[in-house]
Amino acid sequence: MAGACSQNAPPDVQGEVEDALLTVRAAEGDEDAFAALMQCHAPALIRLATRLLGNRSEAEDAVQEAFINAWRRLPEFHNRSSFGTWMYRITTNRCLNVLRARKPVATLEAAGDPPAPEHSASPARIAEARDAVRELREALDLLSVEQRACWVLRELDGQSYEFIADAVGISQEAVRARVFRARRCLTQAMGAWR
Amino acid sequence: MTAHTDPSDAHSGSPHTDDTHTGDVHDDERLPCGRLLSQVWDDWERGPADTADPHLRTCPHCRRSVRGLDELESAVRDLRDETTDTSAYDTTSLTQRVMDVVRLELRPGRPLSLGEPAEDLWIMESVAARTLRAAAESVSGVRAGSCRLLPLDISDGTGGPVVEVSLALHAPARVPLPELADQVRGRVREAADRELGLAIGAVDIRVTDLIDTTADSQEGETR
Amino acid sequence: MTTGPAPGALTEEIARTVQGVPGVAFLRPGLAGRLRSTLPRAQEGRDRAPTAGVRLSRPGGTERWHVEIHLVALGQVRALDVARAARRSVEEYLLSVFPAEASAHVTVTVTGRV
Repeated sequence: MAGACSQNAPPDVQGEVEDALLTVRAAEGDEDAFAALMQCHAPALIRLATRLLGNRSEAEDAVQEAFINAWRRLPEFHNRSSFGTWMYRITTNRCLNVLRARKPVATLEAAGDPPAPEHSASPARIAEARDAVRELREALDLLSVEQRACWVLRELDGQSYEFIADAVGISQEAVRARVFRARRCLTQAMGAWR
Repeated sequence: MTAHTDPSDAHSGSPHTDDTHTGDVHDDERLPCGRLLSQVWDDWERGPADTADPHLRTCPHCRRSVRGLDELESAVRDLRDETTDTSAYDTTSLTQRVMDVVRLELRPGRPLSLGEPAEDLWIMESVAARTLRAAAESVSGVRAGSCRLLPLDISDGTGGPVVEVSLALHAPARVPLPELADQVRGRVREAADRELGLAIGAVDIRVTDLIDTTADSQEGETR
Repeated sequence: MTTGPAPGALTEEIARTVQGVPGVAFLRPGLAGRLRSTLPRAQEGRDRAPTAGVRLSRPGGTERWHVEIHLVALGQVRALDVARAARRSVEEYLLSVFPAEASAHVTVTVTGRV
């Protein structure tokens, strides 16, 4: 399947046509077509989920669930959007649910969480940049689930406010407000400002 | 100002309603120069500040607030780079796990009668469709999309064809379509008979897209 | 009452019979082994539910067996021929076990081709 991959970034017309064709076939029960779509779109979705959830193994689980969910819902999909956009939305929602489910645990016993902050391990600062990234990772846990999601889609995934509003299912204004609050919280938490 | 507080949690008992009150009301801040923080950051995000009003470049408060964002941004860039390297990600095991579930699930579908109606032998529509799509794609340059098989009313008892095929194709550009359609029909009929044993009536073909095959990239598309 | 294998064993025997028919890849839901025979758990899957594609009943307490088969056929063989051969194998098997009974009603559905 040459050039079959159209992910969000490059507007590859040939790929989009191929995607639409495979999506129809998958909706009609062609499992191989679905497998081809998955090969195509999984890397971008894994990246998205890893950014949203902060670790790879949970990300893989979320993407796996998202694809299984998509397979079940495909007969009602009717190509209203591109398969890639649709999967992006399903995966985002799946990750939001994962984050919501773990939020209380993270606050009560942060140690149970794999990427948990390691305040004790703070030896001499080796590379400042790496420290900043670690601090940022930790600070992300301070955000509400919704803020985190909107911020990650905006800052790490580089999506437009319009796209995020559609993916998360809220207004553009609400997305802007969340990204603003997230930035505010992060700059403060990282001591970058004041 | 306390740093480690989620503003949305701080203001109301319901933590996840933060999109109901907008940022400028509750969580924004008016800088000593009179500008709103959200506005300053908004301008920053919109692009190079040199096009904006000179205040942003000269006001110490605005500059400081933007510097904080700049510092955050450099950490963000590093984090982004760290989480970008999925290009080499091997999707095989993930695909396999999903397909194991997918293949075990029985998709509700329509069974079509194989052989004589009284024989009580059936094939699922999705299975027959895959065979017919493959047959259509044996014609050079053709890609098959939707393939539906519609059982006809067989009450006339003539034992004639019982299934009509409706097939959507992407056809190569610059190939006469009627001939192409006939060729596809021939292959589809042959496969229905030889590979499935399914008696089919009309084969309705819709060309939904034309593929430019002048580029050599289409070579080897059909096996 | 006719003597013969218990219903569970009978279903298993029918499954084994059908699985031995040329052109039959496997019975329907026990298909984890499909395309992935290298995986250890695929083998398990196949062994665990050998009868998953067979449903056996005697509707209304009649003496006539009703057998439903769901199978995945091999792609190189004509689906209709596989379905017919599967049906014949079940009919012949039941006849060999219950020679005095009315012939079974067998319906076969091809749920996949590989």
